Amino acid sequence: MTQTFDASTRTEAPVGADEMTALRGFLDYHRDTFRMKCAGLTQEQLAQTHPPSAMTLGGMMKHLALNEVGWFGKTLGDVPYPPLFESVDWESDPDWEWRTGAEDDPQELRATYDDCVRRADDAIDEALARGGLDAESVGKDSSGDPFRLRWIMLHMIEEYARHNGHADLLREAVDGETGE
Amino acid sequence: MTEPETETETQSFDEATRVDPPLRSDEVTILRGFLDYHRDTLRWKCSGLTAEQLAVSLPPSDMTLGGMMKHLAAVESSWFDRVFSGGELMPPFDTVDWTNDPDWEWRTAADDTPAQLRSLFDASVERADAVISSALQTDAGLGSLSAQGTRRAPTEQFSLRWILVHMIEEYCRHNGHADLIRQSIDGETGE
Repeated sequence: MTQTFDASTRTEAPVGADEMTALRGFLDYHRDTFRMKCAGLTQEQLAQTHPPSAMTLGGMMKHLALNEVGWFGKTLGDVPYPPLFESVDWESDPDWEWRTGAEDDPQELRATYDDCVRRADDAIDEALARGGLDAESVGKDSSGDPFRLRWIMLHMIEEYARHNGHADLLREAVDGETGE
Repeated sequence: MTEPETETETQSFDEATRVDPPLRSDEVTILRGFLDYHRDTLRWKCSGLTAEQLAVSLPPSDMTLGGMMKHLAAVESSWFDRVFSGGELMPPFDTVDWTNDPDWEWRTAADDTPAQLRSLFDASVERADAVISSALQTDAGLGSLSAQGTRRAPTEQFSLRWILVHMIEEYCRHNGHADLIRQSIDGETGE
């Protein structure tokens, strides 16, 4: 069983919007673009690499799920990881999500991803209500200062867009599919 | 006896000069910070490579790093000189027959030297920055609207804010391509 995504439902960022609407629009656009790049592929295809890089689309989906609950959940809102990630021994297995994402069933992987996006959106709503895009994160950076929601939103957009660039080349190598 | 001249010229970029976007800043500073960071990331991914290496693809994709640098120069000029300002594309893009040769910039990059590609790219960034700075001096600031509208509705104008976030994601996506192409050329990786 593969994942499905209807490209005609992909969110577009509105062209004349305020800051918050624009940032959420671009984030949703890239989440949907990534769902599109993974749709229709079997577990074996999601586990395929494009050498010399070791990245896989399956690993990337679990990595981005972790980023969602890491940045928006844990760092921004101090929300604990979902049980799936909470029990991992990150010290001894730092690439756990990349490694195991390539072995997961496509539909289970997508359900994990969609669940992490929902949790992230809840944390964004909570922070916006608390302080708008200037809202400070509960977690701190290496010098002990909080992040602001504005920076985290832009960081996640760049994180997704960069990985969608990797996904473009991985997907084209798997079955020839291309497209923005 | 003089040695024949060899084609060893490359672009240079000192990665240490790449500036991380500010963590706690206003909207304008943070958007420009992210854009500059990703422009520098592309310069870094293309640096130290010969003309032959800049023309290498990672099949089945036919993208090259040289083509990508020329493409992003065209993208800078397209958004800021044409769509936002309502003017013409910068040379040499202004005289291209785009209808018959839509991938002109990707195709012709292989004929340019690394230094030529980099100076065209730097010039496009300089022009774009001048457009951004002058728009930000108006009262509308990031809400300033583009001279040209969208393809589906000419009256639907882009805000400067939308164009800046779009340029950030455009660069990031291509830098993702650049990551894999560069790794296949000489093993270099890095965010």
